[in-house]
Amino acid sequence: MKRVTIDPITRLEGHGKIEIFLTDDGEVDNVYFQVPELRGFEKFCEGRPVEEVPTIVTKICGVCPGCHHMASGKAVDAVFGVEPTATAKKLRELFYMAHFVHSHIAHFYALAAPDFVVGPTANPAERNVLGVIAKVGVEIGTEVLKQRRIAQEIQALLGGHQTHVVMNVPGGVRKGLTEEQRKDIEEKAKGFVEFSKFSMKIFNDVVLANKEYVDIILNGPYALNLHSMGLVDANNKVNFYEGKVRVVDTNGKEHCKYSPNEYRDWVAERVESWSYLKFPYLKQIGWKGFVEGNDSGVYHATPLSRLNVADGMATPVAQQEYERMFETLGGKPVHATLAMHWARLVELIYAAERCLELAQDKEITAPDLRAKVEKIPTEGVGIVEAQRGTLTHHYWTDENGIVTKANIIVGTTNNNAAICMSLKKAAQGLIKKGVEVNEGICNMIEMAFRAYDPCFSCATHRLPGTMPMIVNINDKDGNVMQTVKRD
Amino acid sequence: MMTLKKNKTLIVGVGNDILSDDGIGIKLVWDLESCFAKASQDRETMQPIDFKTAALGGLELLELIQGYEHVIFIDAIKTEGGVPGAVYEMTTDDFKETHHLSHVHDVSFLQALELGRRTGMKVASKINIIAIEIVEDLLFSDDFSPEVAAKWPEIKETVLQLVNKYLNQ
Repeated sequence: MKRVTIDPITRLEGHGKIEIFLTDDGEVDNVYFQVPELRGFEKFCEGRPVEEVPTIVTKICGVCPGCHHMASGKAVDAVFGVEPTATAKKLRELFYMAHFVHSHIAHFYALAAPDFVVGPTANPAERNVLGVIAKVGVEIGTEVLKQRRIAQEIQALLGGHQTHVVMNVPGGVRKGLTEEQRKDIEEKAKGFVEFSKFSMKIFNDVVLANKEYVDIILNGPYALNLHSMGLVDANNKVNFYEGKVRVVDTNGKEHCKYSPNEYRDWVAERVESWSYLKFPYLKQIGWKGFVEGNDSGVYHATPLSRLNVADGMATPVAQQEYERMFETLGGKPVHATLAMHWARLVELIYAAERCLELAQDKEITAPDLRAKVEKIPTEGVGIVEAQRGTLTHHYWTDENGIVTKANIIVGTTNNNAAICMSLKKAAQGLIKKGVEVNEGICNMIEMAFRAYDPCFSCATHRLPGTMPMIVNINDKDGNVMQTVKRD
Repeated sequence: MMTLKKNKTLIVGVGNDILSDDGIGIKLVWDLESCFAKASQDRETMQPIDFKTAALGGLELLELIQGYEHVIFIDAIKTEGGVPGAVYEMTTDDFKETHHLSHVHDVSFLQALELGRRTGMKVASKINIIAIEIVEDLLFSDDFSPEVAAKWPEIKETVLQLVNKYLNQ
C-alpha cells in the first residue's frame, strides 16, 4: 500500500489533511479527509442566558459570523415562541444579503478564480489572487476590495459590528434604519448588482469560453451523484434567510420538505473513528456508506444543491442566470462539483438584487423593531443557509431561559461525506500508475474540495500563512519515494 | 456613513477570546489599552494610538488596517518544540518565503498586503508582529491553558516593553 499525504490544505479554513492511499499498482485505493474539530462550544453555551447566545456564536467562526448570528437569533425566537416583526425580518435579511455578497465575492476572486483565470496547473507562486489581478487588471482588484468594504460597512451599520454582530434580540433587532441610511444602502446595493453581473461576465468570458475548462467542469473527475439540500420560500424559490428545507433526490424528485423544528426527523449524524467531524445523512434513507446514487443517504448542501432543490430564483437577473446555467448543463439536477462556482455566482447576483429590493422597501425604516416576548422559554430551532450549506442551531432552556443543551450542525459538516467522496473521485481520476504526482495534480485534487468553500475553524487569524502543502509518496512499507512540497 | 478619524498607529489583537490560548492577542490588547489609557493621563505628549481586536484574516485584516502608518499585530502562534509563553518578534519580511501561499477563506495576510499596495490602498509602511507561543487553541474556554496562564504576568510585561520599543523607533 502506498500513501500520498497532502497536508495541510491550502486556501482552506483551519488546518486540514488529505490522506491518499495507493495500491501496489499505483492506483488510488482510498482517500481520507481530516480536520481537527474545535471542542466544547455547545458546553460553553450551557448555563448562559439564551438571549446572549446569538452574540457568542459569532465567535465560532471568523468567516461566517453573520450566519451563526442569524441561525442563533432565529433559534432564540423559537425558544421564546415569538415571531419577529415584519421590519425586523427585513432588516435581518438586508444584513444577511450584504454578508453573502461579502463572502461570495471573496470566494470567487480569491479561491475559485486562481484555478481558472491563472490555470489549474499554473505555477503556485502565481496561482492566487495576485495572479488573478495580473491577468484581469488591477482595476478589478480595486473594485473587489471596494465592493467588499461596502458590504462590510452595511453589515457593521445594521449588525453593530462587522464581525461580532449584536443585531438580533428575541422577536426582533436592536436598532432600525433611518431614511438617510436606507437611501445610502440603496445606492450601494445598485453597485452590488452591477458588480455581480460583471463577475458573471468574467466567468463567462474566462471559464465558459475556454473549452478545456468547460471540459474539466463537465467531464473531469469532479461529478458526484448525490441528493441536494437547500432552503426554499413558499414558492420553492431559493431563500437564504427563511423557509423550509427541501431535499431532492439524485433525479430531482422531492425527498422531503421540512420546517426547522422537524430537522431531527430527516437528518442524522454518523461518527467515523478516523474523523473528528461527524457525517450527517438523510435519516429516512439511512447510512449506506460513502456511496453515490439514490439509495445513498449522503447529500450535498452547497450553492449548487440550493439551486437544484429550488424551482427558481426570486429576483429577475438571478432567474435568467439560473435558467441559463441549467440549460447549458443539461437540466436539473446538476451533479458537476465544479459547477458550484457557477451556482455561487448566480447566488451572488440574487443576494445583490435582494439587497437592493430590501433597501428600496421604504417600510424597512418603520419603527416596529421588536415583537413583545410573552411566552415561557423552552426549546427552539433556527435554520438559515450559510454560504457553505444549511446551518442549524438548536437550543434547549429551563423556564428561566438558561441554556441546558445546544446542538449545531454547521454548513460544511453537511458536506463532510461528500467532500471525502469528491476527493476520492478526483484522486482516482488524476493519479494513475506511472504518472508523477506533481504539484499541479495535487492542486487539481484540492480543487474538488475548494469548490465546497469549506470552513472548519474559527481560527482564521494566523498571520503568516505558513501552511505549505506537502505530498509524500510512500511505498508499501511506508518509505518516502517522492516528496512534492509547496512553500 | 460616518467615518471615524484614525490615529497614525494601530495595535491589533488577533484571535478568538473564547478559544483558550487562541485569544491571547486580544487579551493583551485589552490590557495594553488600559495601560496606555492610564499612562496618557500622566503624559500629555504621548502619541494617540488606536486599539482593535479581530478574529479575521486576509482581506478583512487589510480592510481593518487601511489608512494607518504603523500597525502592531499581536497573535498566538504554535511552533514545533516552542516553549509555552515565549514571545517572538517578527516583521512581514520574516515570511517572505510564504508570500505566494494562500491561507484562509480568502487570501493570506501577505497576499492581502500586496494586493492593497498594487491597488493603491494606503497600506502601513511599518508593520510589527508579536507572536506568543500557545498550547491550546481547539477548546472553547474563557481561560488560558495552565502553561500559558502561569506565564501571563511575564508575557504582559514582555509585550508592553516590545510595544514601547516599536513606538519609539
